[in-house]
Amino acid sequence: MSEADEDDLARAALETVREASAAMCLIAADEILERLLAKGFAERLQTTPEADPCLRLAAVLSGLPGIASFESLSGRTVYHDPALLSRTYARILDHKDAPELLLAAEIRSNSRDYTRPLPVELFEKTPFDLAPETIEAALKALSCGQEFQDITSLTTAAGAVYLFSTRYLKRGYAVFLAEQDASLTMNP
Amino acid sequence: MAVRSGGFVGKVLRVDLSTGKIGTEDTLERYGALLGGAGIGYRVLWDEVPAGTGPFDPANKLVFAAGVLVGTSVPCNGRTTITTIFPTCWPRPLVGSGHMGGHFAAKLKYAGYDALIVEGKAERPVWLMIRDAHVEIRDAGHLWGTGIRRTTLELSQEMGPDCVVAAIGQAGENQAPMGMVVNSVSHSAGGVGGVMGGKNLKAVAVQGSGAVRIAGDKGAWEALVKFHLSLLGGNNQHVVPSFPTPQAEYYNPASRWIGQPGKRWGAAKPPVEITGALRDPNRIAYRTNSAAYFLGDEAWKYTVRGNGCTACPIRCHTMLKVPSVTTKYGIPDTAQNTCVALMFGRSFFTQLAGKKNSETAIEACMVGMHLADDVGLWSNYGQLQRDLRKLYEGGYLKARLGSKEYASIPWDKYDNADPAFLLDLIPRIANRQGELGEVLSRGTGAIFDHWSIPETEWAKDHTTTYWKMGHPKHHANEDDGQCGVIINTQYNRDAQCHSHTNFVRNGLPLAVQKKLAAAIWGSPDALDAPGDYTPANVHKARRAKWSLLRKELHDALGVCNWMGPWAASPLQERGYAGDDSLESKFLSLATGQTVDREGLDRAAERIFTLHRALTIRDMGQVNMRAEHDLVPPWIFEDQNGAAPFTKGSIRMDPADIARAMDFYYEVMGWDKDTGAPGKARYAELGLADVGDTLAAAKLTPETGK
Repeated sequence: MSEADEDDLARAALETVREASAAMCLIAADEILERLLAKGFAERLQTTPEADPCLRLAAVLSGLPGIASFESLSGRTVYHDPALLSRTYARILDHKDAPELLLAAEIRSNSRDYTRPLPVELFEKTPFDLAPETIEAALKALSCGQEFQDITSLTTAAGAVYLFSTRYLKRGYAVFLAEQDASLTMNP
Repeated sequence: MAVRSGGFVGKVLRVDLSTGKIGTEDTLERYGALLGGAGIGYRVLWDEVPAGTGPFDPANKLVFAAGVLVGTSVPCNGRTTITTIFPTCWPRPLVGSGHMGGHFAAKLKYAGYDALIVEGKAERPVWLMIRDAHVEIRDAGHLWGTGIRRTTLELSQEMGPDCVVAAIGQAGENQAPMGMVVNSVSHSAGGVGGVMGGKNLKAVAVQGSGAVRIAGDKGAWEALVKFHLSLLGGNNQHVVPSFPTPQAEYYNPASRWIGQPGKRWGAAKPPVEITGALRDPNRIAYRTNSAAYFLGDEAWKYTVRGNGCTACPIRCHTMLKVPSVTTKYGIPDTAQNTCVALMFGRSFFTQLAGKKNSETAIEACMVGMHLADDVGLWSNYGQLQRDLRKLYEGGYLKARLGSKEYASIPWDKYDNADPAFLLDLIPRIANRQGELGEVLSRGTGAIFDHWSIPETEWAKDHTTTYWKMGHPKHHANEDDGQCGVIINTQYNRDAQCHSHTNFVRNGLPLAVQKKLAAAIWGSPDALDAPGDYTPANVHKARRAKWSLLRKELHDALGVCNWMGPWAASPLQERGYAGDDSLESKFLSLATGQTVDREGLDRAAERIFTLHRALTIRDMGQVNMRAEHDLVPPWIFEDQNGAAPFTKGSIRMDPADIARAMDFYYEVMGWDKDTGAPGKARYAELGLADVGDTLAAAKLTPETGK
């Protein structure tokens, strides 16, 4: 395959990932392959009869500039363009159908990175859009799971519930941060 | 600074209400080195208002000053600074400024004036008409006694719809220290309304047909404006949204960037649904909804639009339409404001303060806005409300007010958190009616004086958030440890500085904030996470200095220190860095005279040091460290008994704060023992005459020890 063909293929793969990211979707290699085949890239992906187009595509994807990938909950490697679909949002999309894991991942990353507890009502809002009963059930399920024993909650003096991970935040500090967060509108 | 070619419009208007004399003077000859805003105000007070002048004496002056960048296309340039001997400063009035947004500043410049100095006192009520070079003192007899809304309407009808009116209401007329001046109906400057009233000046109305010239390359100017827009976040420069979005790596539920696709301005006709990518600079205005942030999501349905100041895309001034208040309280159903003024009514009631998504709380806010912005009553950053709560709940009023007056106040409504209580209370204060109205109209200091309540009863009580000199804290140790404490020691009113808190609360992870801090202030240790404080260091002192100077600089340029500085940005590709030199780049292009960041910060330091000199002169006291730069006892306490530097406590350590002040005085080049600049420091900043005068009065460290 000529250098120009290589470039065309890489450009098409990149465009495919970006199109998916712009539509707020994660895309796996087999889905990219399908779209490239539909766009007429079969010959350039299967240079010899015995060549595996999936392997060929994987090589192309690994060289794409600015494209990120991770192993999704389904076990498949999924791709996205962080400029259009951030890592944070990609993680949320990936956990969309697993509320327990979604909550655990968000609570942990917020406790670790910022550091802060999260108001439980956050999960009722977009993009989570979880019903209160779904959140309650997910938290209950987490409390039973051995690997989620670090996920816990606190209630502020005014009655607001916050969630945090004891792996990254001690309760005393979490309480302070939650009280401070809850009082921000009176400290403008 | 030779900057004749742009930015400045060249003249300062001076009006003597005692003599009726109206004149102009060249801005640059006398004030060029102090840029504008409070810089002009401080200079006028230093040169012309003797120490010991009272706020309501005819000898006191009111300096309405725009800034050099006001009236251009620089984002967020609508600020007016009004400098005077500030009447709520306790126990003695000292220099202070009120600040207002809106459109007054730009109109003043379009009329050809960088500032307006009002002096003397009119024999009878007057208003000032400014129509470009045509300036008249006109009779205001027919307006005296009316509210700000009616005054604004009548003067607008008289002058034409393109005028901007800055007026006082009954509070100002009655020379209440808590009076405020309001322009464009709801943009207020606290504490200065009574000074206007003392001069019998009901209003200033301005029409301007001119423009502000940009001396530099127009293409470069436009590119810089676009770049600046790309750095903007939401309200208070919160650079990440409050919810995850596909475009943002970070989010922060506490961010004031709360607008997102799907939200609606429900009371607009027809309702406006937010759509599209809010990272687009053309959609910045949809990011902020102050009402929904402060009052809860329920406020979206009452939102008409985001309003705001000249050239500001943030639109933090949310307009609300709540039909129920007309039938319930007999007030208009539409009001607009932001921040503390938006919450003015709700905050009086313990049950409603801070309460979100409460119809009663929203109605209380509507009643409060309607009354306060009409009678022109200031809240002193919410201290008025906290004072009333403490006075009532602490039993002070029952013990001190006469039984007849006490019984005349509808406490049953107050106990029931009924917004109708405000219909009695707010006019009572504005009219200085009875003992309660009189005391509250004078500010917190009057509570101590009038009822012989020791100041310590407020200063020891964290819930009052009282700081010193009759004023509350304004983003102190609860937000920013020693940096916040230092900043809150420096002014004669609440600090009004947002440079530090806008950075701390910007929503970025601590690691990113520390990386930016290292680049700007020389070390990641320049800031800590809130409530996880480490001992004082010189980098925190540098950041405190930077914060204070940027606040003064913004006042001098007329850009908004509530939105800036722009030290961080939403741009991942820049590592979330903003641009610390934006102000100097804009000023260079506006004036055609290049000034770098350091040069401009030096001008800000000159202005800030002049404020310090005025305070020293008027206190007759060189030992600022012992007598002025004070902190309340509550910062050294923790309600759970935690020790200083315990994670989860904002308790400060006295020895550490003393060390923080040492670092601060050192980076300011001031004497550590007294916290005062020496003669040499004044001279280095181009204030040799000021240093000489203070030295002659034995008010420099070398002469006064």
